[in-house]
Amino acid sequence: MRSVRSHLIVSPVAHDLLLIDLPALPVDRRHEVVTFACRRIDHLPTPTKVGVLAVAVVLRCLIAAPGGRRVLGLLAARPVPLLGEYLRLLRSLTAAYVWEHWPATAPDGGRA
Amino acid sequence: MSAPGTDPFAAGTRSDPVIDAEVLVIGSGAGGATTAVVLAEAGVDVLVLEEGTWVDQGEVTPYSLDQMDHQYRSGGVTVAFGLPSVAYTEGRCAGGGTEVNSGLYRRPPVDVLERWRHDARIVDFDPDHLAGLADRVEADLSVGPVPGAPTAASEALRRGAERLGWIHDEIPRWMAYAPGANADEGVRQSMTRTYLPRAVAAGARLATGCRVDRIEMQGRRARRAWVTLDDGRRGCVRFRHVFVCGGAIQTPALLQRSGVRGNIGSNLAVHPTVKLAARFPEHINDPTEVPVHQVKEFAPDLSFGGSASNPGLVALALTDQWATFAPAVRDWERMSVYYAAITSEGRGSVRSIPGFRDPVVTYRLSGSDRELLRSGLARLALLALTAGADTVFPSFRGAPAVHDRADLADMNAAWSAARASVMTVHLCSTVPMGEDRATCGANSFGRVHGYRNLWVNDASLLPSAPGVNPQGTVMAFALRNAEIFLADEANGATRG
Repeated sequence: MRSVRSHLIVSPVAHDLLLIDLPALPVDRRHEVVTFACRRIDHLPTPTKVGVLAVAVVLRCLIAAPGGRRVLGLLAARPVPLLGEYLRLLRSLTAAYVWEHWPATAPDGGRA
Repeated sequence: MSAPGTDPFAAGTRSDPVIDAEVLVIGSGAGGATTAVVLAEAGVDVLVLEEGTWVDQGEVTPYSLDQMDHQYRSGGVTVAFGLPSVAYTEGRCAGGGTEVNSGLYRRPPVDVLERWRHDARIVDFDPDHLAGLADRVEADLSVGPVPGAPTAASEALRRGAERLGWIHDEIPRWMAYAPGANADEGVRQSMTRTYLPRAVAAGARLATGCRVDRIEMQGRRARRAWVTLDDGRRGCVRFRHVFVCGGAIQTPALLQRSGVRGNIGSNLAVHPTVKLAARFPEHINDPTEVPVHQVKEFAPDLSFGGSASNPGLVALALTDQWATFAPAVRDWERMSVYYAAITSEGRGSVRSIPGFRDPVVTYRLSGSDRELLRSGLARLALLALTAGADTVFPSFRGAPAVHDRADLADMNAAWSAARASVMTVHLCSTVPMGEDRATCGANSFGRVHGYRNLWVNDASLLPSAPGVNPQGTVMAFALRNAEIFLADEANGATRG
């Protein structure tokens, strides 16, 4: 499992979630945050990684469909089992990274 | 200081090295380092294997994501599955959890020791003897109160408890301070500063970046350990005795991978915690320190304290209700994160699965645990408001912001344990010690039931979660068991 790279599966969803949560986050920062989130998911314990990537595939397919980002926004705002847990993980990773590295960030992700 | 000693697996020795040691210690945290120093200073030939690397203090920022990358397993993103799942962290570096925790110290409570002795049928187990061992640990690690004024976040806890008339105290830390130093100028007396250098000075060998894949058994004896080094080489260690000290998750996982059966990995106990972020009118945040006050009014069921609160962790505490809490993140300098920890009735398990590098960890909260978490979060919110917080942001999905006591009813109504961010940093009891073979994985001295030379000497041995920070208890137990091992070796006897 260590050799399975999650970037292709995880980064589109992480990217879109950041657009929903932190729409004013500069593009270069968004890419840096997405890279960090993917790296952390790559290093999850193997059983956890299997489960997370299974859910990630479902969401990856979902956002590829028309209106996918809107559905992602709805899921991100609700405590949905499994899918919601995955988004919760991504959100916690990205928020922690953004404010640890750029503490002056505004709540919308813009430079305060 | 940097990693002491010479790496016994240093490149160039041979392609697939084989090493001999009288005693192999697997893991270099509170249990492993304590075991190593006792045995090495008694003249035993000791080899310590550590899966993580040696990281000097100051190399990484405490409580940062960078520290998690370097010193935690899986970057700190580890979880026990359940409803809710319980996030946990494990140190993975020389010194283990002692390098990354808050350094707060509690003695093993006497009533807990008595209960363990009775319930688990632990023999030759004298709480007074344990108290003497705790004295030694405290001297070795410079355990004492923090000098100077506490941080503003810690003072807020004390103030809130004082106003409510709740029992509170300041927890000593294992920190060394120069004369006249302030609270934030201490040097953590972790294992890389204390027992590991002492063990190496006494002749122990320490190898970092070395994962033990399995221990080969032959009948009732452990024969050798098969290891993988960070550079990909495989190796083998032959020994007379082996002490497994990888912590409450990795120790049972290794034993299971090695074919050891019995009560291994089925009794995981933790202190589940829920948290909130509290915003005050004044600047309160200290990104590099943790509060030293704890509130024990409802102990041992419930304890309140403060968490690391750098801006990233404040943001993290708000993410469960990001849609409405996000605007508060701009006030992170006026915010601090606090926790409510419970003594749980629930239990979990650690299970190795063939083909997977890591075990599956589960934890199931009991009904009363869920109720205790709810009441704990409500009382913690009351404590923060009483301390002067203008708003409290509880960490569960659907939580309302709490501005005054009247809002606590709304918070209680919205509470659901399944929606909460539950986490723990105290894991234990996966190879509980005692003579009751129906419930215990190791005997009263840490020797795994059914084996002659296979020992456990870490948090896995505690029969249950002690209700306080377990590290002091782990170290006192490790001292006791290592010294009994030495005495038995000298007498040619084996107890239990």
